[in-house]
Amino acid sequence: MRTIKLFSVLAFSTTLFFPVMASAQRARDNDGGGRNSGVQDPGIRVGEINGQPGATATSPLPVASVVANNPSGSLEFFQNGLARFQEVESVSNSPSGNNGLGPRFNFNQCSGCHAQPTVGGTGPAINPQFQVIANGIVIGGTNTIPSFITADGPTREVRFPFFFNSNGNPNTNAPNGGVEDLFTVSGRTDAGSCRLQQPDFARALATNNIIFRIPTPVFGAGLIENLDDSTLLANQAAQAGNIFGISGAFNRNGNDGTISRFGWKAQNKSLEIFAGEAYNVEMGISNEIFPEDRPLPEEELKSGLPANCLNLTGTGYPEDTTNFSPTVSSSDPSAVNASIPSDVVQFAMFMRLLAPPTPSTTTPGGSASIARGQAVFSAIGCATCHTATINLTQPSNFTPSLGSTPVNAFSDIEIHHMGVGLADNVSQGSAGGDQFRTAPLWGLGQRIFFLHDGRTTDLLKAIEAHESSGSEATQVEENFDALSPSQKQDILNFLRSL
Amino acid sequence: MHTKSSHSLLLLGLALSLLAQAPNALQSGRDFSSSPQAQKIPTGVVLVKGAWSSASDSVTPLPEGGAVANDVYSNQYFGLTYTLSPDWTEKYSGPPPSDSGYYVLAQIRPADTFKGTSRGSILIAAQDMFFTLTPARNALELTNYTKDNLNADYKVEQPPTEVRIANHSFVRFDYGSPTAELHWHVLATQIRCHMVQFIFTGRDTKLAESLIQEMNQIKLPAEASPTSGTGGDDVPTCIKDYASDENVMERVDPVYAERRFNPVPVRIIIDKEGKVKHIHFLSAFPDQAKAITDALFQWRFKPYLLDGKPEEVETGIMFGRAPRPTTPPSTNAATK
Repeated sequence: MRTIKLFSVLAFSTTLFFPVMASAQRARDNDGGGRNSGVQDPGIRVGEINGQPGATATSPLPVASVVANNPSGSLEFFQNGLARFQEVESVSNSPSGNNGLGPRFNFNQCSGCHAQPTVGGTGPAINPQFQVIANGIVIGGTNTIPSFITADGPTREVRFPFFFNSNGNPNTNAPNGGVEDLFTVSGRTDAGSCRLQQPDFARALATNNIIFRIPTPVFGAGLIENLDDSTLLANQAAQAGNIFGISGAFNRNGNDGTISRFGWKAQNKSLEIFAGEAYNVEMGISNEIFPEDRPLPEEELKSGLPANCLNLTGTGYPEDTTNFSPTVSSSDPSAVNASIPSDVVQFAMFMRLLAPPTPSTTTPGGSASIARGQAVFSAIGCATCHTATINLTQPSNFTPSLGSTPVNAFSDIEIHHMGVGLADNVSQGSAGGDQFRTAPLWGLGQRIFFLHDGRTTDLLKAIEAHESSGSEATQVEENFDALSPSQKQDILNFLRSL
Repeated sequence: MHTKSSHSLLLLGLALSLLAQAPNALQSGRDFSSSPQAQKIPTGVVLVKGAWSSASDSVTPLPEGGAVANDVYSNQYFGLTYTLSPDWTEKYSGPPPSDSGYYVLAQIRPADTFKGTSRGSILIAAQDMFFTLTPARNALELTNYTKDNLNADYKVEQPPTEVRIANHSFVRFDYGSPTAELHWHVLATQIRCHMVQFIFTGRDTKLAESLIQEMNQIKLPAEASPTSGTGGDDVPTCIKDYASDENVMERVDPVYAERRFNPVPVRIIIDKEGKVKHIHFLSAFPDQAKAITDALFQWRFKPYLLDGKPEEVETGIMFGRAPRPTTPPSTNAATK
């Protein structure tokens, strides 16, 4: 059984500081003149979080029917999922039962990384991974903060595209691509005798055998989950006559061949799989979807995790399970049903019921500029992949707002070749090393870091990165270059209105 | 939140833990501190490819095999030679062929030496008509499909119309976006059962017209036509669905090493004796390509006869998961 512990300070401070941080970053990133002279990313949109009155840094809104608690109990499940999403996990000594962290992990709380502009979003302005030693989450004597984790940089997940040879050089005939967790529990008082070394990030950097991923925001994820394959295929066919050099594919689930859709490469089929994998890979917590503790890819090739790093909770596996007995909350005695499912189920429910962001019609730049920007965005071909609306979801058996609803995600959910400039040499499912899912753009107006690795905070640079050899988006980027400065500014204003 | 006392406890725990573990090195991970100089993975190259194009031999020309050299785009497969306008160049190459048979053949743009005041670009693309996701059967119908699927923000400036370029028949379709102040001029024909497109994009229609005029220098095979273009002469005749039951005399199914679900479009050339001479995978994982190659070289076809004489024939086969049926055919016929 678990009690709910809110951990809001970090997210709150994020809200206070991000405009300042992002402004400073923009100053570093800005084009120094040339073809985009005078065109500037308006920066993170100020105003209501997700464009939604009532949303706060720790309380995002669910979809409308859940706000109305339709069906009865759905609001309880959403709030329970939201609270669990903010729980701080320990290895073994949490009095509230939030145990199972590690032995390897990237952070100890979902909402630490999914924080911007509110819980469920993407990386915040102040990177919590940079503070893990200062905050006692990891022990400095056994862990160091990797050089690519910085105070105001993006929260990051790391992968080594290739395994290393015995001489320490990457073997390009041995693709790896698995997550290399940043930290270990070694040295924590609740981690027993487990002694693990961090991956050799310095060597990976020296050999260029390292890539990064930032958290994908999950607002509106329930709508994406509820799109039938036929809807996605019809959209693909409707775009097949485009004249922009674009022809995407779908990533497909390895079990049943249907379209998968979550993650940077659309590698995950459902929100429950997405949640289960993240709990296991990012936080090291075994669960009903991924039932064992996860070693690093190179550990897996050898003998797995050492015995003294297994079953650190002392209660067996999986560390997150269905709760056979409900928890009766003194503050809300009726809220018992939602306490029964496992964390993973409730994480998925939280994401599923989470409302998509509401775009602004006036900010930044005014309504006329935003409207022009959207029209130009569509005309030059951006919307061929970043499809404004993919028709309607299926009827939903969860809650009415998820059913028969247009999905204004600005994504076709296809994977596209993005060229050598963005390629990360990681294959996931049928997505190759240069293929990425069209990133949904809803909520972009309040994001800080862009592209899969968070390499820039400047929207203009993110657009420019779409062109390189091998990219399907090169022609569209060339069309963008052909626009006047005011038209480009309209597009940036439109994007920041989302 | 940790208190000071909990920090002290943590530090004490750490110290005790370090003392207790001192004889044992940290487990797992890797330490290459004494290794030789690091060899960097090259940037600007895709080393881990997903489904990609490949072929059973390196001699037979492929649609994606064209290139810009000495200011000329040449494509041996399509028998196409296109001289670039002065000060225009290819900066970035295109993506690999898609699993629905789409090719970006070349992307031409002004070079740094270009003196003009208005930018523009030329996209040369192709669509294998055997694998299109649309109901179109030829380049003319596919151009109409593009027109029919334009959103309302565009303004059609010239509906698809047959024109002559360098003594070859093309379909030309012009449209623009009043909001973006850009114009698109699409010229398409069909060669070897592929729609081959030249798309001129820019703000300046005069610039586009001058570039289109320069297309009169283009060299194309005699077959090029938006409604036919089915090979012949020096290249095999292309026939959709030639690998049907009535023509396949011996068929061996591929034995896959791994279960995958991606579409695998394959073009094959069948020789005069009915044997598979050449296999081109537009998009396949290497293990799929190997399994299909091993199988296809065992297939035997009824030889294709033209005027009673056996001839080479080119056709397409979709292995793996074929895309689902698409939207109904357009009812909006093009003008001629």
